Amino acid sequence: MREEQLKPDNAAVPAQKGWLERKENVTKIAWALYVVCAILVLLDFLIHRHAEMGFDGNFGFYGAYGFIGSVFLVLVAKYGLRPIVKRSEDYYDD
Amino acid sequence: MIEFPPGLILILGALPVPFLRGPVRTIWMLALPVAAFVLLYSLPEGNHFAISAFGQQLELLRVDGLSKVFGYIFLIAIFLGVIYSLHVRAIEEHVSGLVYSGAAIGAVFAGDLVSLFVYWELTAISSVFLILASRTPEALAAGMRYLIIQVGSGVLLLAGLIMIWHETGSIAFEHIGIESVGGVLILLAFGIKAAFPLLHNWLQDAYPQATPTGTVLLSAFTTKLAIYALARGYAGTEELIWIGAVMAAFPIFFAVIENDLRRVLAYSLNNQLGFMVVGIGIGTELALNGAAAHAFAHIIYKALLFMSMGAVLHRTGTVLASELGGLYKSMPFTTVFCIIGAASISAFPLFSGFISKSMILSAAAHEGHYFVWGVLLFASAGVFHHSGIKIPFFAFFAHDSGKRPKEAPLNMLIAMALASALCIGIGVWPSALYAILPFHVDYVPYTDSHVLSQVQLLFFSALAFTVLMRTGLYPPELRSTNLDSDWLYRRVGRSILQYCVQTVGSMHSGIYDLVVRRCKRFVEQLYRHHGPHGIIARTWPTGSMVLWVAILLVTYLALYFIDIF
Amino acid sequence: MIAAHLPALQVVIPLIAAPLCAILRRGTAAWVIAVAANWLAFAVSIGLLFRVLDEGVISYAMGGWAPPIGIEYRVDLINVFVLLVVSGVGAAIIPFARKGTEARFDSTNQAWFYTMYLLALTGLLGVTITGDAFNIFVFLEISSLASYVMIAMGRDKRALTAAYQYLIMGTVGATFIVIGIGLLWAMTGTLNLYDLAQRIPDIENTRPVLAALAFLTVGISLKLALFPLHLWLPNAYAYAPAVTSAFLAGTATKVGIYLLLRFFFTVFGGGGFFLSTPLPEMFLVLSIVAIFAASTVALFQNNVKRMFAYSSVAQIGFITLGISYATETGLTAALVHLMNHAIMKAGIFMLLGCVIYRLASMRIDDMAGIGRKMPFTMAGIVILGLSLIGAPGTSGFISKFWLVLAAMENGQWWLVALIVIASLITMLYVGRLVEAAYFREPSEKAKNVREAPLAMLIPAYVLVAATIYLGLDTTWSAGLAQDAAASLLSAAY
Repeated sequence: MREEQLKPDNAAVPAQKGWLERKENVTKIAWALYVVCAILVLLDFLIHRHAEMGFDGNFGFYGAYGFIGSVFLVLVAKYGLRPIVKRSEDYYDD
Repeated sequence: MIEFPPGLILILGALPVPFLRGPVRTIWMLALPVAAFVLLYSLPEGNHFAISAFGQQLELLRVDGLSKVFGYIFLIAIFLGVIYSLHVRAIEEHVSGLVYSGAAIGAVFAGDLVSLFVYWELTAISSVFLILASRTPEALAAGMRYLIIQVGSGVLLLAGLIMIWHETGSIAFEHIGIESVGGVLILLAFGIKAAFPLLHNWLQDAYPQATPTGTVLLSAFTTKLAIYALARGYAGTEELIWIGAVMAAFPIFFAVIENDLRRVLAYSLNNQLGFMVVGIGIGTELALNGAAAHAFAHIIYKALLFMSMGAVLHRTGTVLASELGGLYKSMPFTTVFCIIGAASISAFPLFSGFISKSMILSAAAHEGHYFVWGVLLFASAGVFHHSGIKIPFFAFFAHDSGKRPKEAPLNMLIAMALASALCIGIGVWPSALYAILPFHVDYVPYTDSHVLSQVQLLFFSALAFTVLMRTGLYPPELRSTNLDSDWLYRRVGRSILQYCVQTVGSMHSGIYDLVVRRCKRFVEQLYRHHGPHGIIARTWPTGSMVLWVAILLVTYLALYFIDIF
Repeated sequence: MIAAHLPALQVVIPLIAAPLCAILRRGTAAWVIAVAANWLAFAVSIGLLFRVLDEGVISYAMGGWAPPIGIEYRVDLINVFVLLVVSGVGAAIIPFARKGTEARFDSTNQAWFYTMYLLALTGLLGVTITGDAFNIFVFLEISSLASYVMIAMGRDKRALTAAYQYLIMGTVGATFIVIGIGLLWAMTGTLNLYDLAQRIPDIENTRPVLAALAFLTVGISLKLALFPLHLWLPNAYAYAPAVTSAFLAGTATKVGIYLLLRFFFTVFGGGGFFLSTPLPEMFLVLSIVAIFAASTVALFQNNVKRMFAYSSVAQIGFITLGISYATETGLTAALVHLMNHAIMKAGIFMLLGCVIYRLASMRIDDMAGIGRKMPFTMAGIVILGLSLIGAPGTSGFISKFWLVLAAMENGQWWLVALIVIASLITMLYVGRLVEAAYFREPSEKAKNVREAPLAMLIPAYVLVAATIYLGLDTTWSAGLAQDAAASLLSAAY
């Protein structure tokens, strides 16, 4: 690391795989996330929710909303918005 | 006790900056916001500083709960901004930054519409230099577009204020409402600065073009000044709830596919403003407190995020997601600060966004705006998605770009560290912020149910991101231009203009042929027969003038005579 | 004692100083005399203002011959306002003139230039102060002849052509005015404006009087360069020496406006008569065309002086637009802009004079990067440019403010929009200069220039300061103008 820092800005160095770049470690992180999500859903049983609006008290409401909302967001942006608005980088330059 | 507008301290204090050098300048520039802060802290509520002009009383220092909380946060923002930009050598950036912040603070304490208007325009004029200072052709063009739109906002404000002045005879800046035409015009003026949907695009257009330090300041003042003005003039205006909901939702779609990370932040800035606008539209004490608190927290974490991206830009020369990645190895501190900012904007418990955004959501639920509540919840998940994950992930992690830039300069790190400390401090001890809000607060953000809901929402969003990335469904970062409402004036408008110019041009030459050439021939003949020397080339223009005189004389004579017979 | 003779002194001081300059034939001595004479004239104007505020209209019989036989000088709020502008702008310009003329002319020609300057000043002050119609013509000719020479002294060869055109057009204008005056004299038997004002209302619908009005309208429109009779102006301003441009822009057209107001409102009987003619519509249309056509032309000029010359045509459009309303607010707007525009445009031409002094070019491309080389000069131009746009905190804002108010009073919202759009065009052409001066690399020519000498900057900055001051305190602009407008409308004289 020390040597790298002495190099000038932007100098490209041969790809040196850090801990985070190794595939097995990424998989580990993903699994950790799955486990945490599972625990969070199960906590719904333990913690009494004062559902103000009724429907937000349902089991797994927030988890499902977050997941479905995010997938919806990304897919709409990718398949709905991007084809309409994407232009080449120098679109306005001419 | 000294009673002097804090905004003027910054504006007048900026004047000697070009003549100061080295540490003296540093101390002077840091002392200005500190002095203004101390002064503001000592001021009780009330009107303290009036001058008379235009035969009206201009109130330059109206201190109350709402103006005070915005005054505090603006002073904190300029303090952080000054530290962050200490390494910058260009004097005009320092001066325009101080004047710009001073104008925004001046506007917050303006007790009447006329002085609000003056400060309003001053923020536009002073801030454009932060964009132009990039000295690129794109920045120049974007800066000019920005200036025209911002000045246009001021002109609308002026038109509205004159109408209201005519109607009511008062220029006091109190609740305005949309019952009168003037009120609608002023709402439009505020709406431009607050980046309402379809009036928003100057923001995404100009902010990514400013200098690394300039964007940090821009992100703090202009839009939040508009939020303050809306809260003052249009609290409880129901239309704002819907405008805000649209505003919170639509920018996040653009943010997902945007490659320029500072533009991503500009879109998420727009989305956060949506939350505040909803709060203002609801207009209950809880909602207004929420809007003010969210503006307060937002200024800090948004500045922090722009600071971290500014540091990346400063060191690598780019903030395109497609060009970055793996920077955490050589910029570890910046990475940590960026993640703190990301956690704050995503409203993780113990970070500042959590204790402010939830007030607005609760207010929406209390008042029965369930659909809007749902939209805001979706927008919360979405903002986590692109600001919370996308920004740090693509800049500092993702695939290794091979870039190994140096860590950010020390002054940038100090500014980011202070901002991070504030983000966490507000998140852990919300009571300090709640104490300075305009209305009394009995809101408890940390209940186990609320914390769990939020953590579930965020983690499942992260889960969605992970799943989409690992299945390859996540849209790749592409170098591209994404059209937005600016297309209307940058493409359609330009085409129409070109068409008009061409049409008018050909019409003009047609008419020119028809009229002027004939007249010319007439005058030529006149001169050939009657002119003393017949030098047509030299006398022709004078001849045409005389022709005009004759035409006008005949016209006037005809008109006067027609009138009596 | 002196106070009683102030009206005479207003004209006599520069009139005596002019031949004195010519006799001395020494540049420096002539300059000292010109400065002294002009400053004295300004002091006299201020004295007159206080007298008018104190005692109302002053009637002064020239040489002790009582009107209508003798010539009467009659000072009311309207002409004292214009006297102040003319002598005040002149008082700022004349100290500035030294450096530029010294660099260009030998000592004799310098003295000649100051002689012409003082004659032009005499003429303009005379036109404004006199209460006699024929006297107006005489003074108008004095000032015009002197200004032809002042323009012809420009270093550009085209200055001669420009002066020639101005001469032709000026003569046509003066002839029309004299025909108009002659017709009025034939109908009423008097040349005294006050008497004319008493007698005309009874016969104002007769043909000769209307013909007189038409001749006066066209003649005066020529003098004040109202579109489309502005064609002489751009070249005259662009190729004349900087001092001449500044002086003419600040004073000559403004006196034309004064004549317009004096004849239409005072002589022909107040706002009522003006509104009964087709003039309001005519002026409205011509003003709007002037504003847009001239601003657009300005946008495409590569000679900066020509650009601001066209901008003058547009700004005159704003003044006549105010007049076309014939309401108190409208006339106030016109008078306020008369004063504010005189100050800011004279200041701009002076600062451009500073640029020419160092750079010897007015091409916008040569001015690239000059903001860093001549920071004070350019900063001054930017401030005055902001005022031209109508930015708050400058006098231009006050002008626009009154104009918008006048348009709204008439319920003409579309006009408010047009005024705003016109301001945006102004912003574009001023912005073009700012962009070149600050955001481009210095041109070959600009690389070696220095800041202009203080002797030129200080007088110009007096006008910059005035522009800011009048943007904040309107006692002396709008305050006076409102009273003057009221007396115009009621034809009080």
